[in-house]
Amino acid sequence: MLDLRVLRVDADGVGLVALGSDRVVDVLFDGRRIWSFWVRRDTSRGGVGGLAGGLGRSITWPPAMRPHLVGTGSVTLREHVSGADVWSGEVVFTDDARRVEFVDRQGHPISLDKSDRFSPVFAERTAADLDPLLDAMGELLDVLAAHGVAAFPAYGTLLGAVREGDFLGHDSDADLGYVSSHSSPVDVVRESFRLQRAVAERGWATYRYSGLAFRVEVVEADGATRFLDVFGGFLDGGRLYLMGEVGHPFEREWLLPLGRTTLRGREYPAPARPEKLLEVMYGPSWQVPDPAFKFETPRQVTELLNQWFRGTGHARRDWERRAAQRRRRPVPKGSSALAKQLRRAEAPGTLVLDVGAGRGRDALWLARQGHPTLAYDFAPRGLQKAQRTAARRELPLEVRALNLDEWRWVLSEGARVSRLPEGPRAMLARHVLDATDEFGRQSLGRLASMTLRGGGRLYVQTWTGRGRGGAGLVPMKVARVQKLLERHGGTVLDVAEAPAGGADGGKGSVGKVVAQWD
Amino acid sequence: MGLRTVGLKRDKDLVERVARLEQEVADLRRHNLRLAELADLVQELLVPMAQRDQERVDAAIAAFQDSL
Repeated sequence: MLDLRVLRVDADGVGLVALGSDRVVDVLFDGRRIWSFWVRRDTSRGGVGGLAGGLGRSITWPPAMRPHLVGTGSVTLREHVSGADVWSGEVVFTDDARRVEFVDRQGHPISLDKSDRFSPVFAERTAADLDPLLDAMGELLDVLAAHGVAAFPAYGTLLGAVREGDFLGHDSDADLGYVSSHSSPVDVVRESFRLQRAVAERGWATYRYSGLAFRVEVVEADGATRFLDVFGGFLDGGRLYLMGEVGHPFEREWLLPLGRTTLRGREYPAPARPEKLLEVMYGPSWQVPDPAFKFETPRQVTELLNQWFRGTGHARRDWERRAAQRRRRPVPKGSSALAKQLRRAEAPGTLVLDVGAGRGRDALWLARQGHPTLAYDFAPRGLQKAQRTAARRELPLEVRALNLDEWRWVLSEGARVSRLPEGPRAMLARHVLDATDEFGRQSLGRLASMTLRGGGRLYVQTWTGRGRGGAGLVPMKVARVQKLLERHGGTVLDVAEAPAGGADGGKGSVGKVVAQWD
Repeated sequence: MGLRTVGLKRDKDLVERVARLEQEVADLRRHNLRLAELADLVQELLVPMAQRDQERVDAAIAAFQDSL
């Protein structure tokens, strides 16, 4: 391999010289693929000294890999398509006397998937591991068919089936797609809601990504959870729109009537001309394996799909990651000044709705003070520990998922709470308005107006823009909060602002607003 | 006002107008999802609520939320 020379592999990353056409290199640890990158597309100039410095390119280890790079590892760089090794050797990442390991908490070998997330990829799974997923795919296709939708393996799953008769080794989830008989975005979204309901009724856990895509969770033989994504699509004006990457000219005859494809020896439905769909998904080179593939969806297509279907989870992935990272840590002790303020002002036993409850510190504290408390978050995983503590101590705390970016969540929860037994109510919203988007802010106002009617009070705290505001927060001035709450029928009772460096736990300036709904 | 100035002003007006139209189209497209949400909510919850059957209302809300 004369036109690809690896000059260094060290604790920072890889330095190389790459001439000629771009290609994919797999990075193996102890002979097992962990990561892949394109030698030109994914690297940047420089970072290589010596004679080759001028031609040198380098790439650093992906952030997700770094926590694993402890001790020494046996690293191989292998050209993906030819299978030729371009570098091999022992690399000392840290002084720790241990081998670099890539396993999850259950001990399953993991590697980076196409989204740069670690998961047990298909290459590591045995037939027994994969049978439940293949069964689930079949069952899910049946459920969708029973509800009038002819679905088929899509994206990487279709690519694997057509090209290799198997899952792609570096892939970690299975994708299904369908093309609706409807042709307007409103109707296809309603259909997607209906399909999710049918799947949920079947007893599977589901999770909505957008107006036109949801996930189904399947538990495998060894307890690992595998995800099946269901992407909706429709044809309109000679174009196929398929969530989440396709918006291309397409013929109905290329889809229907569905044909068959084989995946690990089992038959599944497939588009009539699967190669046509693979071409719009992966480009004309879809037949060449590329474990480091990145979608290059045209900007107009992304914008169109965003405007029609997305916007149902502002920064949710970030909050879910934070929740997952912290979920095993103890719930912080004590309470915020805002929760104490609520406690002082409200009658004993007042029902508290803690919206954006995070780890559940305030919710747990309020439940300990005898307030029946509903702790809401759109990343409710972060509340698991608080929920367990409350259950153990028989505290009146209930954890509920709530997504302010979907009206269906907000309005149904508003209706549900309005039917709970009468009594005094209060809502705590600490760093919610400054963590969500405009739709979410209006939703909080709407939820307050639905649940607090009859004298209930809302306690809001936001970062107002000075000093450090905390991860994921945007400045939200008190005047704006006031206006929002008044717009939703609240009467503002109290407004206060504390400068940066104040006593309330954070370093940023904070505003507090209390409003009442009569 | 010279012809060149008039031309520049017209170009500027058109650029602004296109940007405004793009914004309006985007706003209209966003209504699809919200309209679908409202239609779904009404369809699933309106009937049990109209029937004023408390148990059915509770069951309908619980089933609705289980599928979100």
